[in-house]
Amino acid sequence: MKRSLFDRLATWDNFLALLALATLAFALLRVPNFATGFNISQAIAGVSERALIVLPMVLLIIAREIDLSVASILALTSVLFGIMVEAGWPLPAAIALTLAGGALCGAFNGLLVTRLGLPSLVVTLGTMAMYRGIGYIILGSGSVNDFPDSVTDFGIDTLGDSPIPWTILPFLALAPVFVFVLQASATGRRIYALGGNPSVALYAGVRTARIRFGLFVVSGLVCAVAGLVFTARLANARANNALGLELDVITIALLGGISVFGGRGRLTGVFWALLLIATLRNVLGLSQIGGDAQGTVIGLLLILSLLLSNLIQSALAAIHARRSIPETGDHDGGGPPAPSTASPAE
Amino acid sequence: MKAISRTGAAFAALLLASLLGSTGALAQTCKSGPATVGFLPKLDTDPYFQVAKTGADEAQGEIGGTVIQQAPSQATAEAQIEFINNLVSQKVDVIAISGNDANAVAPALKRAAKQGVRVVSYDSDVAASARSLFLNQAKGDSLAEMMLESLGQLTNYDGDFAILSSTPTATNQNAWIDFIKARLKEPKYAKLNLVQVAYGQESEQINQQQALALVQAFPNLKGIIIPAGIGLPAAARALEQSGALGKIKLTGLAPATLIKKYIQNGTVQDIWWNVKDLGYLTYQAAQALAQCKITGKEGETFKAGRLGEYKVGANGEVVLGPAQIVTPKNVDEFKF
Repeated sequence: MKRSLFDRLATWDNFLALLALATLAFALLRVPNFATGFNISQAIAGVSERALIVLPMVLLIIAREIDLSVASILALTSVLFGIMVEAGWPLPAAIALTLAGGALCGAFNGLLVTRLGLPSLVVTLGTMAMYRGIGYIILGSGSVNDFPDSVTDFGIDTLGDSPIPWTILPFLALAPVFVFVLQASATGRRIYALGGNPSVALYAGVRTARIRFGLFVVSGLVCAVAGLVFTARLANARANNALGLELDVITIALLGGISVFGGRGRLTGVFWALLLIATLRNVLGLSQIGGDAQGTVIGLLLILSLLLSNLIQSALAAIHARRSIPETGDHDGGGPPAPSTASPAE
Repeated sequence: MKAISRTGAAFAALLLASLLGSTGALAQTCKSGPATVGFLPKLDTDPYFQVAKTGADEAQGEIGGTVIQQAPSQATAEAQIEFINNLVSQKVDVIAISGNDANAVAPALKRAAKQGVRVVSYDSDVAASARSLFLNQAKGDSLAEMMLESLGQLTNYDGDFAILSSTPTATNQNAWIDFIKARLKEPKYAKLNLVQVAYGQESEQINQQQALALVQAFPNLKGIIIPAGIGLPAAARALEQSGALGKIKLTGLAPATLIKKYIQNGTVQDIWWNVKDLGYLTYQAAQALAQCKITGKEGETFKAGRLGEYKVGANGEVVLGPAQIVTPKNVDEFKF
């Protein structure tokens, strides 16, 4: 059946794109101090780590898995990098070992999930506490905050005179790779197949265990990159870094139209969700709204957008069904109002 | 269809490209009149900072200017950095911050200074290189001294005690704990034995759990020092319900009004100061700084309205005044 033009336009991606661009346009035109180089660069820098981590998270959720340990891997790799720098290791070695540490954390998650057949929700809930715990064991409540200038400059500076912060570059480099893998490669098709119906994918010859293991390793590796970015941006390595970040990342993925049940969703939608949330948080901040209220607004946004998408879908379904409901003219007459039983005021 | 997405992306890229606003530095200028002061507490929901703001509002009513107060929903440096940048974008003249982490917020504050914003810290200091002034509610050493002294009074200077702090990274609390540990070596406190330092993470629930856990883990526990405004009332309630309060005495830092009934029955003591005055003093100091009446050098003096004249001490520290041990005798003097 050929889809009409309207149907093809009425996608979640386009809806989010409109919402994000409307928010951005509103901010540019109506929010004082939004359209300054400093503000734009800070708004972008503020989502550097979330943007990175959401990439592997989307692949995992599509494959019917989840990684709750992402923020803890970020914290642990941040701690590892910190102590290596403190011990005076050369930067390239410290960075390489940090990345290896992240990949190792991811591999451990992947092993437990694929070899022992445990649900990833449970496994990563455990490692979420464990990895951060290791960070606390290594550094205790202390922190490392003496980094070479090259690291802190990367965390703070922008590209030349533009408002693009260095910290977003790892994301800009990785995003096309993830888009290509998920939406244009055989691996991507296998990930969708695996999430859509694991047993069918298995019988069709997809090496499901290998893909899932690989996804967890990639997730760990990207979290290590995010750990380096975070450490540079805050000039600070400590075990309680990025507390609660995993939920922010999952929120962005779900708002971006990734199905909780796996097998559906695209990265483009997630990029719009990132833009929307970054803009919204920044605008709320500029409007002098505190952190608690900001969280409420973003939670409401998620709920409302899901409701709206359901409404639109059912409306479309109704149009397709070509069901013309005859007007009956018969309306439901309300009964008389119940007598008030207020007690006389004394 | 991806058409909208594509044009949208192009449009967004254009918007960003058109915003080639320079992110260069701006010099700090001296304000000729009252300035805008952005207060950045540790946490959005902490009543302590709400009360401090009433003091800032009072001072603002007297000398003009503007008070903005915004805070994150998590007591972390990362969350505060976003708000530092927000305040800079709003073009405030002075940021008054109570740091969640002395060093991690420093780079963002230094960048704020490059954008022409002056920085003072209050309640909880940040790295000295990242601010001009620190408005301290009381000398840290004297607070730690008083807490230990208060614990001694409650336990006859004898027995096991624990410390239930706020977060493992809290600058103030860590300094106090170090001071207390050092002081324990003195003959006066020789019989007091610190068994554990636990953390309540600025959360009522975690404080309650930790307080009960300490009682379970150390049967000979005589007292707990809780240097955290959220922790002391929460722990007092939890121990009261479990029946351990009284056998175990509490002391620490918290708004006196929140634990008044426990102070009155002698099971809890408190070290406290006038929180409203801290906000008042911070606002006055921020205005003096913005108008170049002071720069943060040792020995400078400025007038802080009804509180009188203050002197800037070493490292740009201004001390509000001595704190007090709150006992049944003086509990009625405290309005927060």
